[in-house]
Amino acid sequence: MVVLDDGFEALLEPFYNGKKLTDPISTKEDKFQLLPAFLKVKGLVKQHIDSYNFFINQDIKDIVKANRFIKSDQEEKFWLEFTDIRVGSPSRNDFSDFKARNEVTPMECRLRDMTYAANVVVDITYSRDRKKIIRKDVPLCRIPVMLKSAKCYLNGANNAEMETMNECPLDPGGYFIINGTEKVILIQEQLSKNRVIVEADEKTGGVSASVTSSTHERKSKTYVVLKKDRITLVHNVLVEPIPIVIVLKALGGLSDKEIMDMVTGGDARYQDDFLINFDEATKAGVYTQQQALEYVGSRVKMGGPRNRQFNMAPRRSQAEEGLDALANIVIAHVTINALDFYPKFIYIAMMVRRVLMACHNPKLVDDRDFVGNKRLELAGQLLSLLFEDLFKKFVSDLKGNMEHFFKKPNRTSAYDPVGPITGQGSFISQGLNRAIQSGNWSVKRFNMNRAGVTHVLSRLSYIAALGMMTRISSQFEKTRKVSGPRALQPSQWGMLCPSDTPEGEACGLVKNLALMTHITTNIEEGPIKKWIFGVDPEVEPIQNFTGIEMHRPGAYVIHLNGTPVALTKHPKKFAAKFRATRRRGWISPFVSINLNTHFCAVHIATDEGRICRPYVIVKDGKSKLKPEHLKLLQLGKANFDDFLTHGIVEYLDVNEEQDALVALYEADITQSTTHMEIEPFTILGAVAGLIPFPHHNQSPRNTYQCAMGKQAVGAIAYNQFNRIDTLLYTLVYPQRPMVITKTIQLVHYDKLPAGQNATVAVMSFSGYDIEDALVLNKASIDRGYGRCQVFRKYATELQKYPNGRRDKMGGIEKDEDGKVIAKHSVLDYDGIAMPGEQVRSGETMVKKMTPLDQTSTGIGTDRGPDDFRDASVNYRIPDPAYIDKVMISHTEKDHALIKVQTRQTRRPELGDKFSSRHGQKGVVGIIVDQEDMPFSDSGLVPDIIMNPHGFPSRMTVGKLFEFLTGKASIVAGRPDYGFGDAFRSHPVEAMGKVLVEHGYSWEGKDYFTSGITGEALEAYIFNGPAYYQRLKHMVQDKMHSRSRGPRAILTRQPTEGRSRDGGLRLGEMERDCLIAYGASQLLLERLMISSDATEIDICQQCGLFGYKGYCQTCKSTHQVTQMTMPYAAKLLVQELISMNVGVRLQLEDEFPHPR
Amino acid sequence: MSREAYQVPNTGSPSYGGGASGGGVTMVNRDPFAAEPSTVMIYTCGDCAVKVPLEKNAPIRCQKCGARVLYKERTKRMVQFEAR
Repeated sequence: MVVLDDGFEALLEPFYNGKKLTDPISTKEDKFQLLPAFLKVKGLVKQHIDSYNFFINQDIKDIVKANRFIKSDQEEKFWLEFTDIRVGSPSRNDFSDFKARNEVTPMECRLRDMTYAANVVVDITYSRDRKKIIRKDVPLCRIPVMLKSAKCYLNGANNAEMETMNECPLDPGGYFIINGTEKVILIQEQLSKNRVIVEADEKTGGVSASVTSSTHERKSKTYVVLKKDRITLVHNVLVEPIPIVIVLKALGGLSDKEIMDMVTGGDARYQDDFLINFDEATKAGVYTQQQALEYVGSRVKMGGPRNRQFNMAPRRSQAEEGLDALANIVIAHVTINALDFYPKFIYIAMMVRRVLMACHNPKLVDDRDFVGNKRLELAGQLLSLLFEDLFKKFVSDLKGNMEHFFKKPNRTSAYDPVGPITGQGSFISQGLNRAIQSGNWSVKRFNMNRAGVTHVLSRLSYIAALGMMTRISSQFEKTRKVSGPRALQPSQWGMLCPSDTPEGEACGLVKNLALMTHITTNIEEGPIKKWIFGVDPEVEPIQNFTGIEMHRPGAYVIHLNGTPVALTKHPKKFAAKFRATRRRGWISPFVSINLNTHFCAVHIATDEGRICRPYVIVKDGKSKLKPEHLKLLQLGKANFDDFLTHGIVEYLDVNEEQDALVALYEADITQSTTHMEIEPFTILGAVAGLIPFPHHNQSPRNTYQCAMGKQAVGAIAYNQFNRIDTLLYTLVYPQRPMVITKTIQLVHYDKLPAGQNATVAVMSFSGYDIEDALVLNKASIDRGYGRCQVFRKYATELQKYPNGRRDKMGGIEKDEDGKVIAKHSVLDYDGIAMPGEQVRSGETMVKKMTPLDQTSTGIGTDRGPDDFRDASVNYRIPDPAYIDKVMISHTEKDHALIKVQTRQTRRPELGDKFSSRHGQKGVVGIIVDQEDMPFSDSGLVPDIIMNPHGFPSRMTVGKLFEFLTGKASIVAGRPDYGFGDAFRSHPVEAMGKVLVEHGYSWEGKDYFTSGITGEALEAYIFNGPAYYQRLKHMVQDKMHSRSRGPRAILTRQPTEGRSRDGGLRLGEMERDCLIAYGASQLLLERLMISSDATEIDICQQCGLFGYKGYCQTCKSTHQVTQMTMPYAAKLLVQELISMNVGVRLQLEDEFPHPR
Repeated sequence: MSREAYQVPNTGSPSYGGGASGGGVTMVNRDPFAAEPSTVMIYTCGDCAVKVPLEKNAPIRCQKCGARVLYKERTKRMVQFEAR
């Protein structure tokens, strides 16, 4: 077997899990081995990479092809054509001959705050003096490269190559590096395009069918609405709803009978309902196609985007206007060839029929939340939208530049487009960079304006980064009260993780992909259309039929991506034949086919963004997966794609899944079974897959763990000490969990773990363990348990200013003895702190000076001061740290860049947060000397004591199983016992037996002696190893107090927040409490004395503020008195006065003088 | 910690890249009371780990391999850790 060190080899090795090559292979036990094989080719973050690759290799060429010609309006002989576009490998923008290599590694981009981008070149052909000039490799723009994509240097690199590039081989990739920050384009969920969705309006009782048409040109939504028994067509471009019969008449000028047949078929119920619509047309006086077109044309909105574009064209008649609207704008995705409106007629009639059907049977409305009606938009698609927009703008800019040139009366030379292409192309690079950087996606053509599409890749832990790559964000508003979009949909089974969703406002709207999910890319429709007719001779094009024939019982309409294309009488036979072609690999495995008996329809989908997952094919009650296949897999002689083309496994999308009968295990297969699950635990995602025995836990606990697993401190990557992250937490001695799952091995959590195995005793101890607090063994902490390191980055750039001035380093200050002042004690001669030195709060790490004069031009007398202002980087955190690393470099703009990394080592202290893998979090309540801890008869002292009250209400039985399984695997020295996979058998009996064999109680309870009294504890104590995660919330980062301190300038009230050394707010409700209690002196102190009390002079005569005992209004000192009031109140009065609102203060004595 | 508390004895100082042993003022034996020291500082290349002497305001670049990421060398002063 070829040694491919991508981390999967262990799972495919013949000796895996104690099994040897010669051992018998059972498909029942070993079919999970398909999973690593699958993850080699698809899954986890591969969908991002696939999508990006599709964009780079295919989509970008199509976009350029669609916009390839530029012709000048003035110079008729001139033309320009883009013949090809290619994306190169990532390269340096600041390339010079000094360094021979122009390749740039992702690590260099991260360190130097650069963008990991590749040059894009175009081939052009243009005319010059009646000659055809061909220019190749004209640089157009730079495009950010996704890590591990086809263009990335990390693609296909083995471990050794990864190491030379300073990369982590386990890094998932799939993100971009923009100006040194790692950015992820989150998966976006939205309703599918070009599909009819029928919905009922609860209030009015109306039914509507809507379709969002999306083509390269435009995006628009068309509705067919039933309201008060009448059906109308509604569209943005039409000023009012148009009776449906008029629209149908306009499309092809068919007779009323033909319209009736097409909509209702022979069904009398629908005929009765639809009949009334003909009256609407008669009422409007529309009988012929010409009249219908005129009716539509007169209702087309004037001044639409289309009209503005062609304002030079002659005015068209109303019929032409209507024809154009119906052909190009309404239901734009059904294209019109040679003015043949029949396909569009069929399409709209189908929508009307759906409305009528839903009216009769309310069950036939569609479910918006059904996963099959959703599409996921990935990085490639989003980038292609943006690129298309930018490229169109580029073409029009280039044309403008061209026209400008040709406008010149006497040209000195022939027009050379190369320079302008490169010049204008930089706007494409800027547009792409800015969108990914800010996350604001705006495409004017589609009225798309989305914010927060990209996020900074969370590097808190390895699993946080991985979890981010599988996250799906939904476009629904978070404020809406409806529960539908948030609820768990049955069709999410196996596609989206049921456990991994945040709590709170985004609950259920942010989802995560399951382990075996794949998201399809676009497949060309043309060849599939040919196959539809080729696979079964009885299938005929839909244009050949009338309405009566289409709606005859037993006739099924074949839809390709929602558009009717053909008719068949034997849908099941057709589907079977179509599937057979797919299983043979003649058409793409991601083309799906499903039958809908309600609408007598066969749906074939080839569009992008569908969610699918693989299954083992079952035929005639027998699984197609045979032991010899697994043997081939183990020997490395077959891969997952081979199984795909040999019809052993296939991908089903959510719609096709509805037609399948899937057996969970081999034993469940019956004659009617069509598919078998590869492995049940794959319904969970990568993050939920860390939990051992999740099927024994109460479900919210698994959800809590999914949130906490991302906060666990541990190893983030093999290159973690080479990176300089803004904030990096690492555990000093991370351990692989005692009890693992197959998911853990597959995502390599065992190689980059975030936690440690603690020996836990479940008992009450000391009273400092109530409310989930933990008791920690001091000796364990001394040995390094829970010890973590915190790295922080402090970066600064030395800027250059347009007037030639620049930032400078140095200026270390000395006291009168000539000694360097304490603040600058860690600085070196170059003004940067030295690695290894300890920095304390307030000390300078980078002594930078900025010129005071940044704006003067330096021309003539315009010259500012020559002085410099201190702009140094200081260490501000109360606890000291050590300088770990100092990096100096240049950015792309050739500014010097200085990054200082500090390091703190922290041992667990009171109040630090810990959690097991079962949603059981707790803070350290007390740290106990080892000699005071209870110990077992074998001398075992627990690391952690956990209060048993945590169990009854939480029902985390999985945690108890983790104890038991872990303990058995330790005492037996058998790591293979320690598997806690979801939906596998539960371990109590087997593990109990192992424990007994090794002299322990079968139930995991042991005899313990109190360390304080030396007496035996009254009960046997349940104990065992549990994997505990240290969470990032640490007391040191939160501890805060203030007696006096800074105040806000405007209000003179104390500042807010720990970072500003702020006070704790006594808010409105707290104030209410004190008033109710009558604690007036406390109120006075909190709200005045300790806040913003000010002495104010007030004139009793006029009620306005005076100053220094004198009233400016009354010109007297006579009536001016002093009083104390909150500065905020004084400010309010003055602000009101400034707005011409008169405010007068009237004073009276609180304790009037007795007369 | 005071600056002059401990000085690492400097015997057999390593010859820096390019054989410019005279050009690079080593940071050991530095005297904070001395006048302005030479402006040449020594850094380490992030790619090839060679010692790179750099003058003030010189472009940041390794003379050997051309890499533009350099690291500062560790302090020569004594650093005392609290072992806890």
